[in-house]
Amino acid sequence: MSYQRTSQFNTRRQQNWSRNQNTVAFISSVKLGPVAHTVLVALMITVLGLIYLTQATRATSYDYEAQKIDSQIAELSTKKSDLEVENARLTALETVKNSSVAREMTTASGTEYVRE
Amino acid sequence: MKLELQKGSRSRILAVLVLGVMAVFVVRLFYLQVIQHGYYSNLADNEQIKRLTIPAKRGLIYALDGDKPPVQLVMNETIYTVFADPQTTKDDSKIVDVIRRIAGGNARADLSGLLARKDSRYQILATKITRTQADKIKQEGLRGIGFQQESQRVYPEGSLAAQTLGFVDFSGNGRYGVEGKLNDRLLGRDGLLQSVTDVSDVPLTIGNRNINKPAVDGENIVLSIDRNVQSYVDQALAAGLKRTGATNGSVMVMDPQSGKIMAMANFPTYKPAEFNKVEDGEVFNNGTISKPYEPGSVIKTLTVATGIDKGVITPQSTYVNTDLITIGGEQIRNATKGQTGTITIQHALNWSLNTGMVTVAQRLGDGTSINRSARDIMYDYFYNKFGLGQFSGIELSGEASGIVWSPEALEGNAVRYSNMSFGQGMDLTMVQVCSAFSSIVNGGKYYKPTVLAGVVDTSGTYKPRLTQPLRTTISPSTSAQVKEMTRTARAMVNQGIDRPGYVIGGKTGTSEVPDKNGGYLENETVGTYLGYGGEDAPAYVIMIQVSGKNVLLQGGRDAMPIFADISNWMIDYLKLQPKG
Repeated sequence: MSYQRTSQFNTRRQQNWSRNQNTVAFISSVKLGPVAHTVLVALMITVLGLIYLTQATRATSYDYEAQKIDSQIAELSTKKSDLEVENARLTALETVKNSSVAREMTTASGTEYVRE
Repeated sequence: MKLELQKGSRSRILAVLVLGVMAVFVVRLFYLQVIQHGYYSNLADNEQIKRLTIPAKRGLIYALDGDKPPVQLVMNETIYTVFADPQTTKDDSKIVDVIRRIAGGNARADLSGLLARKDSRYQILATKITRTQADKIKQEGLRGIGFQQESQRVYPEGSLAAQTLGFVDFSGNGRYGVEGKLNDRLLGRDGLLQSVTDVSDVPLTIGNRNINKPAVDGENIVLSIDRNVQSYVDQALAAGLKRTGATNGSVMVMDPQSGKIMAMANFPTYKPAEFNKVEDGEVFNNGTISKPYEPGSVIKTLTVATGIDKGVITPQSTYVNTDLITIGGEQIRNATKGQTGTITIQHALNWSLNTGMVTVAQRLGDGTSINRSARDIMYDYFYNKFGLGQFSGIELSGEASGIVWSPEALEGNAVRYSNMSFGQGMDLTMVQVCSAFSSIVNGGKYYKPTVLAGVVDTSGTYKPRLTQPLRTTISPSTSAQVKEMTRTARAMVNQGIDRPGYVIGGKTGTSEVPDKNGGYLENETVGTYLGYGGEDAPAYVIMIQVSGKNVLLQGGRDAMPIFADISNWMIDYLKLQPKG
């Protein structure tokens, strides 16, 4: 779509224009009817809607990613806790006392001290 | 051609109809969207916005482990409940096989029967299975099987310090011990997530009413209980009770320089993880704080300290012992006979003579009777300074106050105060006596007894907590004299039992048990031993109590050997250097 300057110049007196109004008028050579205008407006609304939808969907997809990561964190945290419990059980005094190493040990017969 | 709607034409009628219908729509939409906006908006919110609680993790409980970092005594473990929707399950025999094989003893007995109830949508197949077990079941890809995640307390050390810890009931509330007393600190605060969610309940960021308030986990508490000391004390107490025939016993080990309790043992005991299997709820009680009793002759150390601190006696002060003294018409006799004549207070303490202590009480007054002035002084020391007969404020649930009768009360007469001078006629808890005795041997500083050593912060760093003495009970000079008196008393009776080169003192106590008629039982006594040990500055105070229904137990014969056992072990454990 292009515009061109009209070749005809109308004087202010001729047009009886008022002060401070443009003395040069641009008139499109392409004429758009009401249907074209409606279609254009509809298209613009559609594009805007699509942009909105794209952004909203992108935000939602981030939510799913975040949810996935949260789930992984929770699972790893649970695994860590379980391992800590297992570690505590394995190093508990009762376990250590009943271990084969402890059974082989003997009670110290005496203790000597050295003064520093 | 110019189109115009002619009046009365069909087109015009159609236009009017369309406009009419449109007007109905407009009116209806206006009603729904403007007038009823709030109602439908709420309906939509209720459907789309979910409020999810973010559960706070209950704080962990740690114990000291010598010089090493604290170790976890109470932890949280994730467990799973396996349930089935019998209407959607397929291949029930495979489900039964898998659950039995993986869940083992945690599976319900009649799995086939449960799955056969096709009118039901929820049947529990197994409870308390571990994450590993749950993962294995998930891998089988069984249809109609679901998992419910829960958190439960686990106790890696089994029954260690059970009464000190307490337990968490099925509603998630702490009961007894630290769990009960510090429930609010351990509980934490649940968080809140309010958000628009999709059909799978995944929170979405759209919407302007989202709330994300993170949960605040409970505080991680470090107890002053040392797991090694506690373990040895448990073992020594169990062996001691077996040796003496006593059925009940309690032991407390305290650091007299800080009031921190290193061990609290009780027998019989239980496993906190299996609290629901306990038949006699009495085992939940911590005997060292919740069972006041007449401690007997161990209180003589406090009476002597009061006398020396008030300047009415010295260890070498003398009196004439006739094994009998009359107060308010009541005759008070010595349990040990024959140490008659003019003897010293030290001698009276060595032989645990009641008459000697009654004499001290008399000298606090006019020298011949336990008058009001003597009783006021004794009450001031026993109640106000030593903290007997009142809550100590220890961070454990179920503490009893016991009772020390005031001289103002009718019961606070001379006879009662004569009995109190040798540990009868008042009900005290072990923690009260232990704290008072600690102040006697540490130079006169009374520390509030505590089981809290500090906290572990969110970064996992242990932050120890310092304690300050609450008040002064006796002078350092009195403290030194009483310490020496108890050392002498112990050395005279128990030669060769203690490790040489250390300062170890103590006092026996054999107390009668009150009956329902106001007298004392003939066939039941409680044995107590209270002592300290260490280098010049005592490193530990140990109190032992043994009892049993219809059993005559003695402090020297039955409780003292348990003290000696623990004391000798503590010397090695604390790496104390001998003198000379």
